[in-house]
Amino acid sequence: MGQFKVHRVRFFDFMPSGIRCMAFNSKADRLALARLDGSVEIFNFSNNYFQEKVIPGSDSRSIEAICWVGCDRLFTAGLNGEVVEYDLERLCPKYTLDAFGGPIWTAACNSEETHFAFGCEDGSVKLFEILPDKIQFERNLDRQKGRILSLSWHKSGMLIAAGSLDVIRVFDVKSGHSVQRILVDRGSAGTSNKDCVVWNVAFLSDYTIVSGDSAGKVQLWDANKGTLIKTHLVSKWDVLSLSVSENEDSIVAGTSEGTVVQFQLLSPKIGDMETQWVRTRTFKHHTHDVRAVTETRTAVVSGGLDTQLVICPLMDKVEVKSSESVLRKVIFPHRSLVSCAKKPSLLLFQFPDQLELWRLGGTDTIGKPGESLPVTRKPEKLLQLKRKGDDHICCSTISECGHWIAYSTVSSIRLYQLQCDNNNISITKLPKVLRSAHQLQFSADSSKLFVASEQATIHVISLSRSECKHVHTFKPKSGSSAPVHLLAASADGQWLTSANRHCEINVYNLKKLKHHCMVPVYNSLPSAMAIHPETNNLLVTHADQQMFEFGIVDKQYTDWSRKLQKEGLHRCRLKWGTPVTHITFNPQAPSQVILHDTHMFCIIDQSLPLDGLKAQFYSQLTPKDTSETDKPCKNNALKICSKYQPLLHVNLLEDDWLVVVERPLIDIHSQLPAPVKQKKFGT
Amino acid sequence: MATKQRGGVDVRRKKKRNIDVKAIVDLGADYSDDDDDDDDDAPEEVTFEKAKADAVRSMRNALDTIKRDKELLKEKRRKRQELFQQQKKRKLLSEDILEEIELAYTKKGKTLDSEEQEKEESEEDEESEDEEEVVNARLKESYKAVRLKDQIDANARQESASDFIKSRLYGPGTNRTTTNHMLSLKNKTGMNKTAAVQFVDKKWGSEKKGEAEKFKKRWIRNQNMVAK
Repeated sequence: MGQFKVHRVRFFDFMPSGIRCMAFNSKADRLALARLDGSVEIFNFSNNYFQEKVIPGSDSRSIEAICWVGCDRLFTAGLNGEVVEYDLERLCPKYTLDAFGGPIWTAACNSEETHFAFGCEDGSVKLFEILPDKIQFERNLDRQKGRILSLSWHKSGMLIAAGSLDVIRVFDVKSGHSVQRILVDRGSAGTSNKDCVVWNVAFLSDYTIVSGDSAGKVQLWDANKGTLIKTHLVSKWDVLSLSVSENEDSIVAGTSEGTVVQFQLLSPKIGDMETQWVRTRTFKHHTHDVRAVTETRTAVVSGGLDTQLVICPLMDKVEVKSSESVLRKVIFPHRSLVSCAKKPSLLLFQFPDQLELWRLGGTDTIGKPGESLPVTRKPEKLLQLKRKGDDHICCSTISECGHWIAYSTVSSIRLYQLQCDNNNISITKLPKVLRSAHQLQFSADSSKLFVASEQATIHVISLSRSECKHVHTFKPKSGSSAPVHLLAASADGQWLTSANRHCEINVYNLKKLKHHCMVPVYNSLPSAMAIHPETNNLLVTHADQQMFEFGIVDKQYTDWSRKLQKEGLHRCRLKWGTPVTHITFNPQAPSQVILHDTHMFCIIDQSLPLDGLKAQFYSQLTPKDTSETDKPCKNNALKICSKYQPLLHVNLLEDDWLVVVERPLIDIHSQLPAPVKQKKFGT
Repeated sequence: MATKQRGGVDVRRKKKRNIDVKAIVDLGADYSDDDDDDDDDAPEEVTFEKAKADAVRSMRNALDTIKRDKELLKEKRRKRQELFQQQKKRKLLSEDILEEIELAYTKKGKTLDSEEQEKEESEEDEESEDEEEVVNARLKESYKAVRLKDQIDANARQESASDFIKSRLYGPGTNRTTTNHMLSLKNKTGMNKTAAVQFVDKKWGSEKKGEAEKFKKRWIRNQNMVAK
């Protein structure tokens, strides 16, 4: 099984954006991450660190600070002077509020979650009151001369520490006056002509202020007396991020050279009651500046300008050897950015500001397995479609025939009709009921467009050359309003399934235009979904790498799925760190399913027996080399190929051609901003 | 008298030249420490004044050049200022539209939200120019008019803030290097030591490689010509 000719595609210039700040919500076990292009991502840590929600960015929005209030309210503030609250159900900004203080550098919420403090460019600290549905300006604290770059509330809510250029001030919240002024020294003599920027402060409950500054020092100050307790020189470059753990026994600092340093409150002598902050661990998982760092109960999460999110477990806190105890790097988004039109061999690439349509190249030679064939027809870029307006594109799709392209931002949806022969493109107006979509999907015969909109409703639009008509709206039976992130349509045009963020999967009947059934809820978020073209079975993979097959017509799990749950695929399948983002089927061999995640793609043959968790795993790279007789894995259902990585998309075209879209990490690295210069001995 | 001087005209000229050089270098100094002369030669009065005149002339020349340079600079600055003014004039709106803005602002006091409304109404055009926005303020009641002065201020502040952070992270004195350097270091200090990235990966450093090729061709050609 599984002999294919491969289109190896590397011309997708996918460039993720650097991470600017993050905030961890321990009640909901979720991490909110803000990137430099203004997009916000939410990771669900209890669900195998799955990227649950993505709120697309905008050109006019810049984010410098992000903050959770309660379990479900998210606020950001940025250099355009605006505070934005996000609607996490509709995945868009709820409202924006101008703070009238110039660019906002930092935001902090007090421990009772009643007030917000914003540090602004004009040197003022603004206090806002948090109301159930909005925030309201209360008053300004005393205005200072320099810009306020970092803020921290004391646990009692009575004092605020603010870091500025060369100075840290402690404000009394009630009176608004500055009660303490701490001068930060500029470090070694060589850098004394540049002011020392205090990039971060943290106020501990024992009235100790921890500060990280641009001279590379982490300093501990006594807030009552205004004196220095201890200086730790961490690096030669800036300390850009600082975070204190919840029970205040650990501080992590991220630097410009990519190291993350941990300090712990330990007693120097065993049995001694007096504790000190001691530098314990150093992690170097990043190559560029680490601009955001936070600590959860068992791990240190860091992110920076090299665009990767690194979750590093702290082995002394991890109790059980589970998925928590593994170092994770999130490189690519947990959803597919590539759509494929199989018949005309077209690929649609989604960028935040444009869409690119490419036609695959071809070769006329035939070769042996393992050989790379010369390209006779080069891949050509057919279309580059720039978006209108400031908001970034959140989803896009192309129809199977290649004549229709649709994309959506938070404010609009656009549909384009494409005629490839004379390269004509025309816009078609969509009915007024649609404003934005979370997911788009064309039907298999390209006659309908399914739009998953807010409140988990799905609109069915019928397409024709002249106009589009709104046919029907589906609403989920449970009344849940979680956003829909996956849509799958069956090949015969009868069924449509949708998966939403509450792990619900609904099946709709398109012929009768009503809700058919709901798949039993499994606690993990579905990461990819597809309907088999012949048997109409729904295959779903989840964030914790479990796979289920549900028979739509029978409304129950299939026998193969039950067998899979009992015996399980090989154990190395469960170790995969990244979720499966696409499932596709082989028209030539109906029992084969092809899945892929970032580091490998695999073929599961449903007709072959499953070997189970304990069996020895053999993986072939070149199936034709070994002779027919000694193939011990011939009867194994699972075949894995990790030759092509890191993967963005894998799809099967006609005639046994496989399309593999790779994005080598070195190409991303070559476009990152400049790293710091490090002198190594002997080079 | 000519014959009094030993050595003839040439020596005298040479002496004069030496004395001239020395006088210009050391103004007002005594010329008597001239090693080529005989010790009993009398000093020449004429040359001192000449030397003084030369020195004064050279000073005047220097002052003149400085003055000339200043004037040239002034001219340049004036011309640039004029150019800016012309550009500004071109950029400013015409008189009548400015009057309309004033009227609209003082009378009604509404504000224009150009982005959202415009897009929903007219799909085919890109974001319209400033003049159109203000003119449309009269026509469509649901618009708000915003003074461009306020917006420019906000943008300027945002620009200065982002400039601050860019200069602190990437400005002078921050000791940054290229990605090429960092990856090459990784190659050279890794477990299997390989060469720098521009030699390992063919696509890197294409400009420098092109220049090196050209230089090599030129050098070989030169060598061949020399050999011939």
